[in-house]
Amino acid sequence: MKLSEKNITTLIIITTALWVVINVLGWLGHHMIGMYLGVILMFLYMILGIANSGVVSKKFLMYPLSIWALTWILSFFLADYYAEKFAGILPTFNILGFHPSFAPVVFLYWIGGMLTLTLGFMVYKDEWMSENDWENFKDKIQSIEEKEKRGAV
Amino acid sequence: MDNMTKTLIIIFSFAMILISFAIGWWSKKKANTVQAYFGSTGMFGPFAVGLSSTAAVASAFALVGVPGIMYSAGNAMAFWMLSSAAFAMAYLILGKKVRAMAEIGEVASLGDISDLRFNNNRVIKAVMSIILLLGCIAYLAAQIKAGAELFSHLIGWSPLLSGFVIFGVLTLYMVISGEVGGLLTQAFQGLVMVIAGMVIVVSFYKITGGFGEVLKVTAEAGTVTANGITKNFSPDIMNAWGVLPGVAAMTYMIIPIVGTVGQPQVITRMYALKDPKDMPKLNFYAALSHTVVGLLTLVVSCGAFYLVGTGKIGPLVSGDRAIYAFADYAGITSQLFVYAAVLAAAMSSASLFLSISAGIIARDLPNALGFKLSEKAQMSYAKIAMFLIGIASIFFSITQGEMVAILGTFGWGTLMSATFPVFVLGLLWKKANEKGVMAGTITALALNIASFAGFKWPGALPWYFNVITISMTITVVVSLLTKEQILNKKVEAVIEL
Repeated sequence: MKLSEKNITTLIIITTALWVVINVLGWLGHHMIGMYLGVILMFLYMILGIANSGVVSKKFLMYPLSIWALTWILSFFLADYYAEKFAGILPTFNILGFHPSFAPVVFLYWIGGMLTLTLGFMVYKDEWMSENDWENFKDKIQSIEEKEKRGAV
Repeated sequence: MDNMTKTLIIIFSFAMILISFAIGWWSKKKANTVQAYFGSTGMFGPFAVGLSSTAAVASAFALVGVPGIMYSAGNAMAFWMLSSAAFAMAYLILGKKVRAMAEIGEVASLGDISDLRFNNNRVIKAVMSIILLLGCIAYLAAQIKAGAELFSHLIGWSPLLSGFVIFGVLTLYMVISGEVGGLLTQAFQGLVMVIAGMVIVVSFYKITGGFGEVLKVTAEAGTVTANGITKNFSPDIMNAWGVLPGVAAMTYMIIPIVGTVGQPQVITRMYALKDPKDMPKLNFYAALSHTVVGLLTLVVSCGAFYLVGTGKIGPLVSGDRAIYAFADYAGITSQLFVYAAVLAAAMSSASLFLSISAGIIARDLPNALGFKLSEKAQMSYAKIAMFLIGIASIFFSITQGEMVAILGTFGWGTLMSATFPVFVLGLLWKKANEKGVMAGTITALALNIASFAGFKWPGALPWYFNVITISMTITVVVSLLTKEQILNKKVEAVIEL
């Protein structure tokens, strides 16, 4: 997926608008929508970060990024659902000892999110930056420096 | 606590301080260039850099303050320490670009990256440096206060004497070895924190029988009173939001995660990595070690709930006692590692912020003001600055307790407001221009000062959330409304990487 300069500017405007919207939601106390939008904010920043010469790897976009985003959104949804369901009472079940509202935070948000991004980053590291990408970058810099030197002479 | 236990904890903790000093002393021969002394640029592998990043991120607040707030108000604060995915996010967003900047020019500090990206713009560098300095000094003072108070309580020395002994040694090894010794000692201190995490998790399961028992106790304990102190339990304290408003969970989710991308202790470590292709491995070590430290904070708060709820110990005078109360109940092995881990957390963050502060004062600010210093002079001035800041911070943090508490609210958010316009927007977006970033950073500085002076923001969000949003918005709007700048070809290659 190719990101043109115009696309990148659009994404930057969207991320900035998200900061503003999340901030206002925070003032108004709408934390759930704020948390969902927070995931979108991070997702967009990561898309900008993984773009390689303006190209976003579809593989990387699917896994780990989209899986991570879904994992976190699901975690917040379940956390809120069970917090409401068992408000003021001892829950009727637990998940490995955790409150059903906190378990999604532990297993999906914390461990799930960390493992998804960490393993995905290791498995698809070349989609982020391969050895060739790095060598090409260094060659490009060298060639620019040589041109600059010739220009100076 | 009996005298024998106290003596063992003191010996164990001082052994850690001495080993840190030995590492610093050993590293001094490697800190022989500006890039090594200020940034350890391109010098270390993923294991050392990963552990050092975790240790620098996990401050005394993470180990003492976070479980304390969880003990007082439930799980909303857990989001702060269950943020281990943040490292991957930071490296994916900025990792290769920050590291690549070290290939196109001399990078020894964050100010150097700002220079390369924004055509040596002095205003951007100066304003960013001042905000960073505010955040670093605030963090440094808070670490010294936490470490000194802990040991004065244990040994019976005055906080000032404890502060001088512990952080005087730290200042000394940082002066002689700069960031080289800083990074390696932080890696060692990170390892101490990870081992402490493992020890305390085993103790937690032995004492409580697991999280299920804690859940049951907190739901059924009701109100517990002893020694004139009352702790109210409720079934909701163990759900995801605890007893705080939901917006607290939102803030404690977004700020540590997104904020990690903009923390100097993470960005500086990106260019300390020798081989940029090792960044996935660096993330692996950082995320894994952070996960163990996160688990430590979770189990000590749950452990404290269990002990108080079952009447095994009385309610705590303050939430900040949770980690010590649990370790003291768990026995000598836990005590040895927990006290050393808190000290390690304070020292690792303090050393990083001491080094960054000295670099700003001796190098980045003079440079931004137009003074050109030789490499030798920069290093000499930095050593003097580090020594003076170290000593002054010890005095300040111990004698101005109230001011340190106020400054403690700076830190994380303040640092984000300085780095986001310059690095996140600057390295992801070619159109981020000098005028936009100048406007954004100047706004951030003004709003940080206004907030510190008591300006009240609407809503219940921490003030720094508003400051970050406004400074980012101003940077983007001004960049869009003003003329696009022609980028240096090498910078363009970095942004496209």
